[in-house]
Amino acid sequence: MKKSSRRFFGSIVGATVGLPFLSLVLWSFAERWFYPALWPQAWGLRAWRYITSTAGFQVMTAIGHSVVVAAVTAAIAVVIAVPAGRALGQYDFKGKDLVSVLLTLPIIVPPLCVAMGLHLWFIRLGLAETYAGVIGVHLTFCLPYAIFVLWGVFANYNPDFEDQARSLGASRAVVMARVMLPMILPGISVAALFAFLLSWSQYLSTLIIGGGRVTTLPVLLFALMGSGDRPVAAAVSLVFVAPAFIALLFSARHLGNRSLAGVR
Amino acid sequence: MGELDLKNLRIDYGARMIIRDFNLAVRNGEMMSLLGPSGAGKTTILKAIAGLLAPAAGDILIDGQSVRDVPPEKRDAVMVFQKPLLFPFMNVAQNIGFGLRMQGQPGREARRHIGAILALTQLEGLEHRKVHELSGGQQQRVALARALVLKPSVLLLDEPLSNLDANLRQRMRELIQTIQSETRMTMLFVTHDQSEALMISHRVALLLEGRLRQVGAPRELFYQPADPEVARFFGGRNFFQGHVRDGKLHSDLGVFPVGPQNGNGHVRTATIRPEDIRIAPRATGQSRGLRGRVVKTRFEGSSTRVVVACGANEVMVLTPEDAFRPGQEVEITVPPEKIRLFPGD
Amino acid sequence: MTSPLTTGADARTRKGPGGVALSLALLPALAVVLILFGGGFALGIVQALGYLPGAGLGEWSLAHFARVLSDPDFLHSFLLTLYIAGASTVIAAGISIPAALGLASLSKRSRVIHFIFQMPLTVPHLVIAIAVMFMLAPAGLLSRAATGAGWIASPADFPLLINDAWGIGIILTYVWKEIPFITLMLLAVLRHTGRDLLDVGRTLKADAWQRFRYITLPIIFPALGAASLIVFAYTFGAFEVPFLLGQTYPMTLPVWAYKHYSDIDLMARPEGIATGIVIALVVMAAVILAQVLTKAARKRGLIA
Ligand SMILES: Nc1ncnc2c1ncn2[C@@H]1O[C@H](COP(=O)(O)OP(=O)(O)OP(=O)(O)O)[C@@H](O)[C@H]1O
Ligand SMILES: [Mg+2]
Repeated sequence: MKKSSRRFFGSIVGATVGLPFLSLVLWSFAERWFYPALWPQAWGLRAWRYITSTAGFQVMTAIGHSVVVAAVTAAIAVVIAVPAGRALGQYDFKGKDLVSVLLTLPIIVPPLCVAMGLHLWFIRLGLAETYAGVIGVHLTFCLPYAIFVLWGVFANYNPDFEDQARSLGASRAVVMARVMLPMILPGISVAALFAFLLSWSQYLSTLIIGGGRVTTLPVLLFALMGSGDRPVAAAVSLVFVAPAFIALLFSARHLGNRSLAGVR
Repeated sequence: MGELDLKNLRIDYGARMIIRDFNLAVRNGEMMSLLGPSGAGKTTILKAIAGLLAPAAGDILIDGQSVRDVPPEKRDAVMVFQKPLLFPFMNVAQNIGFGLRMQGQPGREARRHIGAILALTQLEGLEHRKVHELSGGQQQRVALARALVLKPSVLLLDEPLSNLDANLRQRMRELIQTIQSETRMTMLFVTHDQSEALMISHRVALLLEGRLRQVGAPRELFYQPADPEVARFFGGRNFFQGHVRDGKLHSDLGVFPVGPQNGNGHVRTATIRPEDIRIAPRATGQSRGLRGRVVKTRFEGSSTRVVVACGANEVMVLTPEDAFRPGQEVEITVPPEKIRLFPGD
Repeated sequence: MTSPLTTGADARTRKGPGGVALSLALLPALAVVLILFGGGFALGIVQALGYLPGAGLGEWSLAHFARVLSDPDFLHSFLLTLYIAGASTVIAAGISIPAALGLASLSKRSRVIHFIFQMPLTVPHLVIAIAVMFMLAPAGLLSRAATGAGWIASPADFPLLINDAWGIGIILTYVWKEIPFITLMLLAVLRHTGRDLLDVGRTLKADAWQRFRYITLPIIFPALGAASLIVFAYTFGAFEVPFLLGQTYPMTLPVWAYKHYSDIDLMARPEGIATGIVIALVVMAAVILAQVLTKAARKRGLIA
């Protein structure tokens, strides 16, 4: 691509991606911003102070809920997805197509539908309005995504390295820990990131299963939107995207050119 | 027609100069090999001729016309790549017909051409196969057929045989030779294999480190290398220096007549091929050979390589006899007529 | 069938190490999917068919489905959802193709552009919906800019872009969010097979358009199809964005489903679940239809 067209392409991408964030940042620092001014008439930290002091407890609780749910979901998803991804990526076996379809279904079928179905059952089991329940419903779609990522990773993974290590005297366990794990670590990170983000941004299924108890950030944000305080909603929105940004920075730094293809 | 002329070509990758001062003329109907070790810049030159790389300087002429400003798809030169690079989403016939389709050739005519080329490349019966159902040799032939069907003025072949086993290689080489002599298509055939180049082509161009070192008939390059490096590339090993006086080269290995025109009074480099040196166990009594001692031997099947220390020089000898052992005292004879004296600067 | 997300990966598959080991490796994953997902889905169907919680098994009947499908608003909602999901998918896919080509032709050193391009992937739908609302609302940024430029005099003159009949705000939100998703899927394939084949095409006399039509498009088609299907499925079944940026009437199906589900009248609950099942069935039907169409097109040689 020529330099001028690269500039053009870059600025379109930059503007399209950046504008929504700009509007959030402006609103979060706007003290007074009457129509039709393009910039706020008065800047201030009211919204930020509100969410750190007055509503600080609420926000911190929501962040805590969100982190616990997303982190545990991601951890469980990866632990289960590694052996499954290895089996699918490395071997041909009868019923592989069926497994593939079974794993595709949760990606296609909206979580809303599953959450409504599970709700009453979870109430019976005492899982409604608990972390376990919310993590359970998040796993239904986070896990298949993680498996697909690792399936792709293992499809390109050469097991000859393991055989080589075995023939050099390493035990099975050592081979897994010292040969396989380092080689697929970037893939595992992507899968974990993936599951984390999916769970992190989940709203409706959390609301249905978690009820009023597991108030994650999106649940809180929805409530705030109802109150109509734009600066506060903008500030919480920014808090909401922050971990995702950190994750992206991490992936850019540590995963090299391996992009986030497939993340949504 | 298919004349290819490369003039003062220079090609860079970023700041690195890959090809410099490259001049080569390929005649119409000629099979020319571009020979060079891996990394010499062979693919780079072919890509420049095909138009996939823009040369930093110099000109490329096809049939006397500069093609510098002609995009690849308009150039009358088709390239067959190192890997077959068949379109995975097309079957064999669709792959071969791709170029014709791009030129908007009507289906019936295209099918006739494809049929003919399938026969020529011995691919009949495979036209509806998926690409991944072909063997390596078949894939390579499809790639060749895909280019041949366009009947380009110049066909550029980039090591099309390098991924094949020895047997298949030989068959494909013969096939390409047959096709060339039947179609009289101008071909530039890239290879890193010296014997392949010597076997297949009318003329050979030797490329070393981005520079053209010598162009000529196969025998010329083999027997009259322009300089020690060319000789070395073709397996030359014994290089020695001598002083030319009165039409004779005076060297450690002996005094050899070299003809009066050869730079009287200068120090010159000469070479002799290992297989041209005769070797025998040291005989008692009178002999005219050079005395030496075997340093090491390497058995290569039909011949054996013997390194002999003659005073301060080590001489490599290739002999059909497997009769020498390290430490053995031997006598070697250098036939004067096989000495190649390199021209001076 | 290979997985939609691994198309283009060249599987180095071998014969299994024995059924037991493989089953053990897959068991936890299948258990989660079958019990939690399958169970949830099945329980949803059971409830939609009239099983009354607490009251045990009631009458098995299709009454709830019938009530949903015969509701005069259902068709409205269905068409609106279909339109929003379809338009979002088509627009996002349409922009993703040139975007992927552009990114592919950038050198790997233009990492900043790559980085910025990936940012929307990590942004929750809810956040971007809020940002879009701030920008496109009658008194939003865009409207202010238009006033500043003298094009309009008051918010009332500004065209309705959110909570509007055409779902413009919703579609924009989805397009913004889904372009990187589709693009990166295409980019993975293009990086894998792209350049060399295009060079071959060039020397075989294909001009720029022909190279796109006969080489690039067939290469990216499977990934494009898979990514588009995922986007369609998501946008057809998602709640947050249409809830925030949609009209109050007609609602999209997911909003409608949740409204019934959370109604104080508990009798409406099975109807909400039935609507959810309908959404799932539509999405599955779309996937199957896409498979059938692909197969037919392949048979007739239209695509590879
Ligand atoms: N895209 C590129 N960017 C930078 N340098 C390159 C690139 N392609 C090739 N080179 C360098 O240019 C030189 C010539 O490469 P080229 O591919 O022409 O070699 P070759 O003679 O075809 O070798 P081989 O026989 O291995 O195919 C090499 O040193 C190579 O490292
Ligand atoms: Mg090469």
